[in-house]
Amino acid sequence: MEVSLVGLASPIIRGILLGGLYVVIALGLSLIFGVMKLINVAHGDLVILGSYFAWAIMGWLGIDPFLSLVVGVPLFFILGFFVQKFIINRTFRISLDAALIACFGISIIVQSICQIVWTPFNRSLTTSYQLQTFAVGPVIISLRYLLNFIGGLTVMIALREFLRRTYLGKAISAASQNEPVAERMGINPNRTYSFAFAIAMACAAVAGVLQGLTFYFSPTSGSPFLIISFGVIIIGGLGSMAGTFIGGMIFGLTQTLGAYLSGGSMMVQMIAPYLLVFVVLAVRPQGIFGR
Amino acid sequence: MVVRDKMKLLRLTTLVSVAVLVVLALFPLIGIPLSWLNYLFSFFIYLALANMWNLLAGYTGLICLCPAAFVGLAGYTMAIGTHVGVPFQVGLIAGAAVAALFALIISYPVFRMKGIYFAIGTLVLPEALKAWFNFWRPVGNEYQGMGAGYSVVGVAGITLGEKYWLALAIAAASIFVVHIILRARLGLGLTAIRDNENTAASSGVNIFRLKLSSFLIAAFIMGLAGAAYYIHVPSIQPKGGFNISWLLLPLMATVIGGEGSEEGPIIGAAIVTFLRFLLADYGAWSLFIQGIILVVVVVVMPQGIAGLLRRVGAYRFPQKLFQAAEGKIHKT
Repeated sequence: MEVSLVGLASPIIRGILLGGLYVVIALGLSLIFGVMKLINVAHGDLVILGSYFAWAIMGWLGIDPFLSLVVGVPLFFILGFFVQKFIINRTFRISLDAALIACFGISIIVQSICQIVWTPFNRSLTTSYQLQTFAVGPVIISLRYLLNFIGGLTVMIALREFLRRTYLGKAISAASQNEPVAERMGINPNRTYSFAFAIAMACAAVAGVLQGLTFYFSPTSGSPFLIISFGVIIIGGLGSMAGTFIGGMIFGLTQTLGAYLSGGSMMVQMIAPYLLVFVVLAVRPQGIFGR
Repeated sequence: MVVRDKMKLLRLTTLVSVAVLVVLALFPLIGIPLSWLNYLFSFFIYLALANMWNLLAGYTGLICLCPAAFVGLAGYTMAIGTHVGVPFQVGLIAGAAVAALFALIISYPVFRMKGIYFAIGTLVLPEALKAWFNFWRPVGNEYQGMGAGYSVVGVAGITLGEKYWLALAIAAASIFVVHIILRARLGLGLTAIRDNENTAASSGVNIFRLKLSSFLIAAFIMGLAGAAYYIHVPSIQPKGGFNISWLLLPLMATVIGGEGSEEGPIIGAAIVTFLRFLLADYGAWSLFIQGIILVVVVVVMPQGIAGLLRRVGAYRFPQKLFQAAEGKIHKT
């Protein structure tokens, strides 16, 4: 009994820590979904673009991937602002379907750019500390999973405080709650949406670095992250940062526990998240913690 | 007078479409270059997919992101069938039937989702199936490495002409089916659902049943088109069968051509086929250009080319011509 409990502790801790990565990815998606009721289907690919960007900077300057964020985050922020301003805001006014299709187009463009610039081979952000592990009692924790958790917590708290304390954050919350009223209070919804998308892109840059430290990535590996992060915000419910956090943990646990209980089967590990998203969607489309 | 003109015009359009069909069917017999037959084959397959996607997105209001699931399932059913001795002709129908059965099974959960939730719910399915078929191998030897591919056995003797006729028949059937549906009670109900689901429900439209019928029809014909494609390219892998390009093709064709119009997918499928063969040698650039075109079309002309033509009044042109010609006859 003692042995199996210890055996179970390892995947549980790993799942919770891995959940941090899903939280960072999902927060960007959640912000856009919350404000515009639009699923940015390009989000997974933007995360992978973030990984590639960090990889390129690392290869060029030889600096730590986290340092590359000093350039990456502002760059992604500006890029996101203009994508929203010139593409999504226009299609969004036509219909939600048009915006969805535009996002799909962006997803294809980002994927093909990654493929043209960085070739379709598997990459990973290789650092000296990437494979380091340390033991807490009987459980062995790898540093990269811990970094995921710290990253998830930091981005979540930063975003939450931003939405609560700054003018822009309050404007984004207001526009997401009731657009016409917000507009009458002197908030320009289009500008607010542009900033929301820009922040989501900055989150994608951070998520890209964490993702690159954890898994191998190729230009097409974005779509599983889209589906997982969609599942996370479905479980977590809209507008609830804590809910998103719990959703991320649940997804991390599903993956690691599923793999552990099935004896390390790749199949279970790959299919379990999809199945979970589908079941949650079918049973409670508005989310478990959703309104 | 005007009504009679319209009737005459209707008979004229029927005549023209039958004539086009006959000419297209004669192509393999009169020694058209094989590369042309190849292009047209792809065009017909894309056309059938685009027509069905248009039926779902343009007339039922279901942004269905899982055509890859139908294509892949139908292709796999046929390929596995040929390994256990089922002739591919039976496999073709069986594949389409399996695709429709899959649509029936998932209909209950996915129709509970609305709008954007439906889109994502259906996006999950091909990904899950791809993961499943990477490991599941019912017949044949254990596969080495990743990707459980199957070849389609016993289709080597089929000429390109025969495959061409098959694709032509499927494309013509897809156009005909949409044409009939739109003029039947089903089409009326579907457009009512698309425009306002709640109002349609309170007016006595059985939403679930109508959505299900159009979903099943679309799944069946998409499955047929997919299986026909895998007769032409006789090997299937999870990565290819459930590839996102099976969604991209009909989506692009419908959006570029004009969603919610009968002629839109035809125009769009022609453009998409042209682009695909034009850009075939450029690999990732091809995808890049397709993505740019998709975004530009959505931003600049959301109604597609058919919408643009309608706006400039191009459709009234034949009618005007017809009236003018008749006026001249009456005068003389």
